[in-house]
Amino acid sequence: MGYAAARGGLDAIEAAEQLVRLKRMASPSAWVDRDQIVGRLRLAVDRVMGEGGVWDEDLAAVAIRQSEGDLIEAVHLLRSFRSTLPRFAYGTDVDADELRVIRRIVPAFRNPPGPQLLGRTSDYTSRLLELTDESLAREEAEKLQTQLWADQLDEDAPSTASQEHQQPRRLLETLRDMNLMVDRRRTDDPDPFDITRSPARPPAPRSARLSSMARAETGALVNQWYRNILGPDGYLHEVTLGEVRHGYLPVRVSHPITGNPVHVGDVRVTEVEAIEDLNGIDEDRDRFDVGYGLCFGHNEKKAIAMANLDIACHRDGGQTQVEQSLLLTTDGLDSSGFLEHLKLPHYVTFRSMMERKMAVRNAKQKSASDDKGTSK
Amino acid sequence: MTTLLSQLLDETVGDTSDVPFALLDEYSKREIRRAILTAVAVPGYQVPFGSREMPVARGWGSGGLQVTLGVVGPLDTIKVIDQGDDQGVNAVNLRRLIVSSTGIPETTVAAESTIVQTRHRIPEDGLDTEHILVLQVPVPEPLRGVERDMRELARMHAEADYSKMWVSLYEDKVRNGVITQSTGYPCLVNNRYVIATTPIPRWDIPKLDNAPFLSLFGAGREKRIYAVPPHTKVEPLTFDDVPFEVEQTSGATCFRCTSSSSFLVEIPGAVSRWVCSDTDWCERHEGGLK
Amino acid sequence: MNPITTPEWVLKVDGLGKVFGPFTDESIAKTGSDRGTSKDPATGSIVAAWDVSFEVAAGEALGVVGESGSGKSTVMRCIAGDQSTSVGSVFLRTIDGGNTNILNMSASARRQLRIDQIAVVYQDPAEGLDLRVTAGGNIAAPLTAAGLRNFGAIRHRASELLSRTEVPLNRMDDVVRSFSGGMRQRVQLAKALANRPPIVLLDEPTTGLDASVAAGVLDLIRGLLEEFGLAAVVVSHDFSVIEMLTTRCIVMNHGRVVESALTDQLLEDPHHPYSQKLVSAARS
Repeated sequence: MGYAAARGGLDAIEAAEQLVRLKRMASPSAWVDRDQIVGRLRLAVDRVMGEGGVWDEDLAAVAIRQSEGDLIEAVHLLRSFRSTLPRFAYGTDVDADELRVIRRIVPAFRNPPGPQLLGRTSDYTSRLLELTDESLAREEAEKLQTQLWADQLDEDAPSTASQEHQQPRRLLETLRDMNLMVDRRRTDDPDPFDITRSPARPPAPRSARLSSMARAETGALVNQWYRNILGPDGYLHEVTLGEVRHGYLPVRVSHPITGNPVHVGDVRVTEVEAIEDLNGIDEDRDRFDVGYGLCFGHNEKKAIAMANLDIACHRDGGQTQVEQSLLLTTDGLDSSGFLEHLKLPHYVTFRSMMERKMAVRNAKQKSASDDKGTSK
Repeated sequence: MTTLLSQLLDETVGDTSDVPFALLDEYSKREIRRAILTAVAVPGYQVPFGSREMPVARGWGSGGLQVTLGVVGPLDTIKVIDQGDDQGVNAVNLRRLIVSSTGIPETTVAAESTIVQTRHRIPEDGLDTEHILVLQVPVPEPLRGVERDMRELARMHAEADYSKMWVSLYEDKVRNGVITQSTGYPCLVNNRYVIATTPIPRWDIPKLDNAPFLSLFGAGREKRIYAVPPHTKVEPLTFDDVPFEVEQTSGATCFRCTSSSSFLVEIPGAVSRWVCSDTDWCERHEGGLK
Repeated sequence: MNPITTPEWVLKVDGLGKVFGPFTDESIAKTGSDRGTSKDPATGSIVAAWDVSFEVAAGEALGVVGESGSGKSTVMRCIAGDQSTSVGSVFLRTIDGGNTNILNMSASARRQLRIDQIAVVYQDPAEGLDLRVTAGGNIAAPLTAAGLRNFGAIRHRASELLSRTEVPLNRMDDVVRSFSGGMRQRVQLAKALANRPPIVLLDEPTTGLDASVAAGVLDLIRGLLEEFGLAAVVVSHDFSVIEMLTTRCIVMNHGRVVESALTDQLLEDPHHPYSQKLVSAARS
């Protein structure tokens, strides 16, 4: 009987797995290729790469497809896969000034140095649901595709824009020239904290906070920002955005023999520099400070929240628990995994709780009858 | 693949086509083992470790699994239980992961195993000096009910300043007449650190004290490992004059094996029935205690 | 200023100073009572306390008087360990025979002293108590910190102390939040005495209480100081408190000690112009 009962549990799991797989694979609708997901759901792909900590659009697409659109599940698949990959090289330091922009805005100035490039953004599109007939929509898409590819308007193609336009000078540099910035740039070049190898706990170095936020679940990070700006947790100052950039960064590794840096590819990132007005008693009131945000793919709300929370954490200086919140409550896998574990059997703990309820009742009754006895 | 890439791969990792024994690469295993060694050297101290993302979700045993995969060898035999039940669905899932990546045999009989991975229970019997008990820990911090700031928590453990915990036990007793902590009862290990005994019932706490086996506690989500080495003092926190109470319901016996000397769980109904939570123990004692 | 020394001190403070912000000798020279400010004009730093020295014997209460901003609370917090100190020494007779400067001890060692060597009674009881915890529970805190593990003994000692501080015993199991200000202060006193510390620091112990309530608490404090033979430092801006509780006192202004005297003598015949101002204001 023992072994049969154990088989029962295994059978249940295997049946459930088969059902999930069957329903997923044999859905009556057409199969979705990876490049359809990359091409048509690019922002989901970008978000999953960011939270997974893996730059690979194809893999992210497979994960999204396998998880049937549950993006946190997709991130889990990507991260577990990442766990199995060997590390065979470390990138050399990335110089963010090499970012080749395809979008760049500077809310702090009307005419900043370099271009304001609205680029591909839905910020100013009207949020109207397009309910075109399906076949008409497909027709239009196909027509445009032929046209676009004919004109070779490809974001990845080498740009004809000037170097100044592709890699505009940062507003931060201008503010530094005007002596308006607190300078916190380090000269000691410490190794970044590796959150995939050690758990980051407060008080943590800035690199630990930044990398935790870079992999944080987007909604969680936005919520952290919101509840610290307006909500019950605290009062953080909203920044003025200095730079919002979307573009390509080159990645290099050291050649194993010559030691020279070798370009191995580009990653597309969103980068934000947020200008903070210093107005605290102990602060440099005639200067600004800056917060930094960077994440894979096109995910502006995440990078903005990150930059604001970066400078907020620094200014907080450990007085509140904002750092603890960031480091410990924004990881999507941790939070959703723990939440969903409530579905596991808890009958041993529940039985123990019930026993204590009885014990408390008995103790009350006993003390009530003791009182009766003594008050006679 | 470019020459550069294949060159780099050859030099650093060799043949990458093999799936490593016990899922984890050697670097990860080494890190887990180092954390375990520190934990054993400082009983009850929560050792931080670089918890890896596993095929099971956080909160579902990823920590216990990493500890098991860190200590398992080809000569081990594995038992996995959840709430004391080998057939628990999550236990089944974890067990098949362990078995498929190691090829080691599995058993439901604790005495026949060498490693027992468990969620929320300690087997009623069968564990001795050859065993490693791996407990799955949802929240490793015993003081989280009295303090929320992690820096302050670290200080409290570092200075053995458990006064807030004692005050909360005092308040509990005053308010309720008994200490109402149900499972995961805080215990003092080796007269030094207070630990969260995961949510094992109070029933199981005495088994930890001066045990012949090694207990390892793995918290994957919180990224901590702690340990109670064999023959280590484990005392539930209570006042000298307030006895530590285990779960008891007078008159309750297991409807299958008639035992009242094992931890029983209730089957609610018009008339409550009780059954052993440790299914293997129950099966071996079915028809009356042998 | 020459501190009046007494034999067999239990607490000795020597040249204690606290500056908020960077400072030089210039900063010190440009601040103080004669300069009429605590703020260094060059750096903006505040010299909250400088060159404070005194000794307190067992059974003796020393008053530290001054207006708000005088540095008196800063001195207390530095001794208590609530505030870091910039310069100076503090010695306790019970620690290494009085030869160790406790200001050089680690933060964790300083915290240990707070269990049974130095007790603090704060102006705001919420600072010294956990309002969500019962009166008895607040007293259980230092008792358990000192290693007491017997529930009955904890209850007994807590009720003893609450009786002594005139808190009705039927309120022992009520959370402190439900207590009035005066009652909270009594609980704070009970808690402070729990482990029979040789030294107690009281910071404006009755400020903020109704006059009638304050009188009762002051009376209690005086009785306790006598009964337990404590070495006490009483910080207050209120001369009636100083008069009632202390035999000697020091007057502080802009971070400096301007006068040191027997309390009675100070009140009758203050020497320093600032003391004179304070005393006459109190009299009127």
